[in-house]
Amino acid sequence: MNIANTFGILRIRAHYLAGLLLAQLLFNSPVAHALPAFARQTGQNCVACHAGGQFPELTSYGRLFKMTGYTIGNRAIPLSAMGIASYTKSASPTDDPTFAKDAVALFQTGSVFLAGKLSENIGIFAQATYNNYDSQNPDTGKWQGKWGSDNFELRYADRFIDFNRDLIFGLALNNNPSLADPWNSAPAWMQYVPTQFGVTGPDAAPVVSQLGAQTAGVAGYVFLNQTLYAEVAGYQTANGAWSFLSQGTKNVDQVKLQGTNPYLRLALSHDWGPHSAMVGVMAMNARIYPDNLNPSGPTIHYRDRGIDAQYQYLLDPHAATIQLSYISESIDNGDVSGIASNASNHLKQLKLKGSYVYSARYGGSLSYFSTTGTSDTTLYPDAASNPDTRGWVPEIFWTPVQYLRVGAQYFSFKRYHGASSNYDGAGRNPSGNNTLFVYVWGAY
Amino acid sequence: MNAYSLMRPTTVALLIALNGLAACSSVERSRSLSDNRVSARTIALQVCSNCHGQQGISTSPNFPHLAAQPPAYLEAQLRAFKNHGRADPAGFEYMWGLSSRLSDEQIAGLSTYYSDQPAPVGHSSDAAREQRGKLIFSSGISGGGVPACATCHGIHGEGMATFPRLAGQHADYVSKQLTLFQRTDTRPDGAAMRMVAHSLTREDISALALYVESIQPDHLSK
Repeated sequence: MNIANTFGILRIRAHYLAGLLLAQLLFNSPVAHALPAFARQTGQNCVACHAGGQFPELTSYGRLFKMTGYTIGNRAIPLSAMGIASYTKSASPTDDPTFAKDAVALFQTGSVFLAGKLSENIGIFAQATYNNYDSQNPDTGKWQGKWGSDNFELRYADRFIDFNRDLIFGLALNNNPSLADPWNSAPAWMQYVPTQFGVTGPDAAPVVSQLGAQTAGVAGYVFLNQTLYAEVAGYQTANGAWSFLSQGTKNVDQVKLQGTNPYLRLALSHDWGPHSAMVGVMAMNARIYPDNLNPSGPTIHYRDRGIDAQYQYLLDPHAATIQLSYISESIDNGDVSGIASNASNHLKQLKLKGSYVYSARYGGSLSYFSTTGTSDTTLYPDAASNPDTRGWVPEIFWTPVQYLRVGAQYFSFKRYHGASSNYDGAGRNPSGNNTLFVYVWGAY
Repeated sequence: MNAYSLMRPTTVALLIALNGLAACSSVERSRSLSDNRVSARTIALQVCSNCHGQQGISTSPNFPHLAAQPPAYLEAQLRAFKNHGRADPAGFEYMWGLSSRLSDEQIAGLSTYYSDQPAPVGHSSDAAREQRGKLIFSSGISGGGVPACATCHGIHGEGMATFPRLAGQHADYVSKQLTLFQRTDTRPDGAAMRMVAHSLTREDISALALYVESIQPDHLSK
């Protein structure tokens, strides 16, 4: 497109131009396959990129596919869809909205993806999700659905490779710290099938894992000789021009960051035989306004420091993975008052997960979670005034075809809000929150 | 989210920049598999190396070494992937799509590229079983209808024409391929191997695989 044409078209209303440009990126390929997403782009099976076919966990090849900007293969129509139907049953539901759909089978969320190669160096992974149970009508009590931005990542990547050197580098625009990370022990990716109903983990969590679809950031990264990974990024509130990255997130729920907040990630990776291992560190500093609706005045200063590790054994038909993530957070309330009783607090989050998949079809996992921290009567109103929540999550799943997974998870709480029994002072035990979650997860 | 939200000026500027960057991409570092202008060497380094290594020596035994394979064998396999003649699970899961739009010149170039690379170094792990494997490899199993592997694959397992090099190959890969030949019809171009392998026991296959993995390249063998 030459400059004269560009200026001419700029006179057209912005959304028509954007549509044209997007269409050019999507459809200006020699031959466009009318098939969606990455697997159709490379023509490969899901197991090429996902360990044992269990999305989202990546194989070594999947990590390289991501780091090279989703640009391997042939451009195709980069569209996909995903849906989750589920059934949640808690041990002792109350009238809290968390348990509103206890023992009810429901279609919970559906997503559409714009995902794939846009040019030789640019790729996209953009997810918009429809939450069928976004909110309840205050008058009728009826649940209302809503579309919103989910994971979004736009990458530019290049690779200089010869027999002496392999350098991958790139830039990523995304809406969640650690979303760019290729390892699944990163906060954005060490996850389970999402559900908003039932109790499925601690309430308190490090801020680095709480900024999804609320922030806008640019990350620069390098991966040298398939050994050293380094990423530097800065995040700010996704509003104004960047509000498409937080679309659907209610203003009252959107964390407001002061200025640009740094995120740093280093990792060492090594593959040998069927083994692949990584150890890494992560750090994020974030200054956050205490009132989401009034982003002014003093801020709370969060400092997150994390270590993580992942080990994979991939030798067909076996796929085994162990993941570890430990994040220590210090919270300095500075001149902010009324949010917490203490001037400063600490939070420590530990996650462990082991999984095994046989023949990309039958699998299971066992996870342990522990979130501990300083007691604070304002932050943690339950009896112990402490965030201490720990438990186990066993899971089994079956992938009859590569686009469909059926699974069952059981969230078993050993401690909740600082106590192993009677955590609310009214006789409720942690086990009252134990939750069975059965899901059918399809993606195409 | 509504459609208009995606059409803000920032998005427009971003898409203009992307279109500009798209025009700057280099064919020398392309990861395209449908562009005839991309050289075989570029495809090998930018794409194939992710599993097979930069010089055809793969780290994971899920993926075979390609270094020093006879070019005719590599070309035949790439064509078999492309036309879906080779239908073993690893073949269609990984290779059908990647090879689907390679040109004849690119297939020939990839075959030459890998055949020119230094052969993999052998790894010995179980001397006793390797000895058993060597016996089968060199002499076959008399009375069992198993001919000597060396007849077609070379005395040192170096391969010839469309018969692959076995020396230094991952034992796990060799074992899986022998099992495929024995039990399935997913590699019709290797139909002869079905007859060759039909009476091999699981232990024979394991011994053979371990032996061929231990064979050193010609320049290192005594």
